Parts: sequence; C-alpha cells; structure tokens
Amino acid sequence: MATPARELTRNTPPTAALAVAGLRKSYRRGFLGRRGEPAVADLSFTVAAGEIFALLGHNGAGKTTTIKAILDLVRPERGSITIGGRDARRPEARLQVGYLPEHPSFHENLTAAELLDFFGKLLGLDRTVRRRQVAECLERVGMAEHAARRLGRCSKGMRQRVGLAQALLGDPRLLILDEPQSGLDPVGRRLVRDLLLDLKREGRTVVFSSHIVPDVAAVADRVATLRQGRLVDLRDLRERPAATAYRVVVAAPADPDVAGELRRDPSCTLRHHDPHRWTLETVGAGPLAALLARCDQAGLAVHDVVTLASDLEDTVLADLVGDAQVREVPAC
Amino acid sequence: MLSRTLAVALGTFRESVRDRLFYLVGAFGVVLVGATTVLSPLTVGAQGKIVADVGLAGMALLGLLVVLLVGASLVRKEMEQRTITTVLTKPVGRGEYLLGKYLGLSLTLACIIGLMGVLYVVAVWLTPAELAWSHLVAVYLTWLELLVLTAGAVFFSFVAGNALAAGLAAALFVIGHLLRSLHDFAAMSTGPGRALAALAYRVLPDLEVFNVRAAVVHGDPVTAGQVALATLYGVGWIAVFLLLSRVVFARKEL
Repeated sequence: MATPARELTRNTPPTAALAVAGLRKSYRRGFLGRRGEPAVADLSFTVAAGEIFALLGHNGAGKTTTIKAILDLVRPERGSITIGGRDARRPEARLQVGYLPEHPSFHENLTAAELLDFFGKLLGLDRTVRRRQVAECLERVGMAEHAARRLGRCSKGMRQRVGLAQALLGDPRLLILDEPQSGLDPVGRRLVRDLLLDLKREGRTVVFSSHIVPDVAAVADRVATLRQGRLVDLRDLRERPAATAYRVVVAAPADPDVAGELRRDPSCTLRHHDPHRWTLETVGAGPLAALLARCDQAGLAVHDVVTLASDLEDTVLADLVGDAQVREVPAC
Repeated sequence: MLSRTLAVALGTFRESVRDRLFYLVGAFGVVLVGATTVLSPLTVGAQGKIVADVGLAGMALLGLLVVLLVGASLVRKEMEQRTITTVLTKPVGRGEYLLGKYLGLSLTLACIIGLMGVLYVVAVWLTPAELAWSHLVAVYLTWLELLVLTAGAVFFSFVAGNALAAGLAAALFVIGHLLRSLHDFAAMSTGPGRALAALAYRVLPDLEVFNVRAAVVHGDPVTAGQVALATLYGVGWIAVFLLLSRVVFARKEL
C-alpha cells in the first residue's frame, strides 16, 4: 500500500462513513492480460456521515469503477477503502450498505417481493422483520401494487425501482447508487430525487454517481468531479452552489427607459435583439427571479426561459469543449 | 455464514424449479415405460435386468444433461447477466456464494434423482426381479457421481466459456469412466502417450468408483465398505474442485 494512502486513512475523521485513499485501478486487456490506462488513478475522498456525496463525470470518467472498488467487486492495484472504519474488502463492512447498480439485473423468475425476501435473508433479517421491510421498501419506491409481479415482466423503470427497494432493505446507513435516475421517466426521476432528500433527512449517507449536472446540483451536498479517472474538482455545494445560467427571451421593450435599464443592468447580458424580441442571459436563481419581476413590472411578455449549463457542468466538460464555456442544455 | 449459504442454495433450487428442470423426471418416466413395454417382452426372463440397466443408465445420462446445462453455467451465467453484483454487495463472501450455488444445484439433483429413483424402484418392483438394497445404492452413487461432475463443471466455467465448460465436463465424464483403461494403456505403451495417460490417471477423478450399475443389474453384491470409500472419494474430489473454483473466483472482477 502506498504511503500517502496510509496517511490519508490515518487522517480520516473517525465519523467518516466512507474513506477512499490513493485508489488506483486499471483493467487487464487482451490475451496477455496487460493492464491498460488506469480507469481510476490516485483517487482520494472521504464522505461524512449523513452527507449526500455525488460522483460526477461523463461516461468513462471512472465513476462506476470507483463504486465497484468500494463494494469489492473489482480489485484495486493500490489504495485503501474503509466503510465506517472497516476494511471494505471484508463482507461484514457491507452489512450497513445498500447498493443500486447502474443497470439492475435480477432473476427474472422471481417476483419483486421474493427477490427482496431473498436479499433480506442474505442480510440476516428474521422472517417478521423481513416481511415488514419488504413491504415498506416496495411501498417507498411505488412498487407495492406490483409486489407479486415477476421481474421478467417488469419494465426497465420498474426494475430500477425494485433495485432501489433492495438497496433500502436492511435499513442501511450508507447507500451507494450508481446512476440512480438512469432509465427512469420524469415521475421516476422526481421520485429518486425526493427519496435522496428523504434519506438525508433520516441521517443516512448517500453516495451516488451521475453524469447529469442538474440531478447532482439538486440534491448533493458535495460533488467530486472525475475526469479520465482522476479527481479534478471537489466542491461543497452548500458553500459554493453551482451557478446556473439562464436565457430569457422577452418582447422588445417599447419604452426607451425600460430598454436603457435592461441594457445597463450588470446582472444580465443582452445577447441578441431585434425589433420584436430581446434575448437576455443571467446567472443564478436570484438574478433570474429579479429579471422576471422587472419584465413583469414593465409589462414585457416573457416568451421563453431556457436553463443553460452551469459552471459545474463546465468542469465536467472541460476536456471535451476545451474551456469553460456556457453551453445550452434542455430546460428542466 | 450458514444462513447466507443456505439462502443462496434455496434461491438456486427455486430458480431451477422455475426453469422447469424437473420436466426431466417426466422424460425419465417415458424412458422407463419404453423399456418395460418395448424391450422387456423381447428378453424373456431378463425383464428386471433390462429395466435396471436402462433405468440406471437413463438416470445417469439425464442427470449428466442437468450438469452440462446448468452446472457449467451455474456462476458464470450470473456473472454475465450481472445478477451476481447485487448479491455480492450484501454481506456475502464469494466462498459462501459459491458453496450456496453448488449446494442449491446439489439439492436440485437430489430431488431429480430422488424422483427418478422412486419411478425406477416402482418399475423394478413391477418386474419379476428381486428388489435389493443395491438398487438404491446405485441410485445414490449416481447422484454422488453427478455431484463430482457438477463441481468439475463449476471449476471449468471459471476458466472457460459456458459451452467449453460444458464440453470439458462431458469430456470429464467420458475420460473419468475410461480412466482404468487409460491406466492399462499407460502400462503397455511407451513414449508421450504413456506419460499423458499416466498423468490423466493421476489428476482426474476415477468415475468408475461410483459405477455399480453392472453389479446391480447382474445381482452382484455391493459392500458397505465400497459405498463408504466411494463417498469419501467423491467428497474429496468435490472439495478439490470447489477449492480450485474458490481460488479463481476470488480473483474475478465483476
């Protein structure tokens, strides 16, 4: 084990729900099994108890490999991982861990309730507790009425919900969710978001991965941005929220005073104008609200409000776009 | 540990029930009825022998089919379909999981062979032949042999793909029954063939240890010592295959 990793583990606060120190993992490739470029390199972070911690990065950034290493599904070449102070390689370290894989796959012959009952047995829950928790978990993810449905006959979204339910089984203190909103419709995405916030209110620790910045910004306390397997940014959103840019399209002001005020307003920028419409851009929810209020007062019709990428997204995309530009993303 | 292993074993058993593996018992019934109605009338005075011969051989071959179809993909299928990941992120060790899967399939084989055994006993009882304890011993040893082959198939599945693992398990069945002939061949021949045959004799299980079918059919006795020795031999080989599987499985990345 590398010395820095040992030092980092030693300095980890005793309350850390999860500590990753000096993690490095590369996969063997080809007939000779030579190791390729590292999927994760020199990755270190700690997650405090009760925190929602996001791993953010585009596909191939190393998020899933990091999660798999935490869960002992892949074997790192270097580094140490502890869950609640216990070596993550020990099965008992996972007693208090719930996990949702990126693409949940379960035995198709089992019903949702049978699957959860099976996992309950693996967690060592007795029959009474198991029955109660299976019903509660299915209820919590909106699958109670489909409890007797075989998983082979469930839609992708339903399987994702069953996956969430099994992750919640056993009342885990730490939840590790790999792309939890993947494959879900808008209702399901809202359900996951609300669930994450509920889990935080209950004092549980959540580590989740995503490549969708608005999903992360909506719920995470801290965000680790990975790029090519390396940690490029670690941000506390409670101290420094992601600044989202907005584009507002309004009717062109007929009153020259109103037009002058808008042009001079330092909190917004006039990007485009023609005799009928003005396109303004502003950064942050507060300035957006102020701009919309001003337009309302001046009697200007607001034709459109578009959410643009945030500075957090720019960090993720930096290696793709070259520098921090504001990029348009679908409104949400 | 035991409860988790049992949970995996019972899950595997339930899965095999829902995969309709028990339909093979029906196939066995058809084989037995065929033997009694078609072949027996052709062999006056030897109906019992025919039923015992066809019954025990049919049991072994249909059991082998289960091993090749299920045993060779027992864990690998779970790895390919990624159903294994959620299981192993619970507090379940890989060794516990492997043992649980193996015990689950062993239970399935016990039920299949047990049900076939009941049909077999009824079929023999319906013939003029005497129904001896050795018939049940033959059924037991057939099951034991299948357990050894299953453990071998599980090991092969870790080092080769599903189809190749099934092929290797089938080869193990064939070579395992020819091992004594190979030993004789090694004694008589020279050169690399001798070394190869001698090596196979030393590193592969001798499946003839479990084969008392000929003795049962001809009414020869099967001693308790023979059964105990076969049991020890079988358990030993199962342990070897499972330990090797455990070593390879521990290094697998999921």
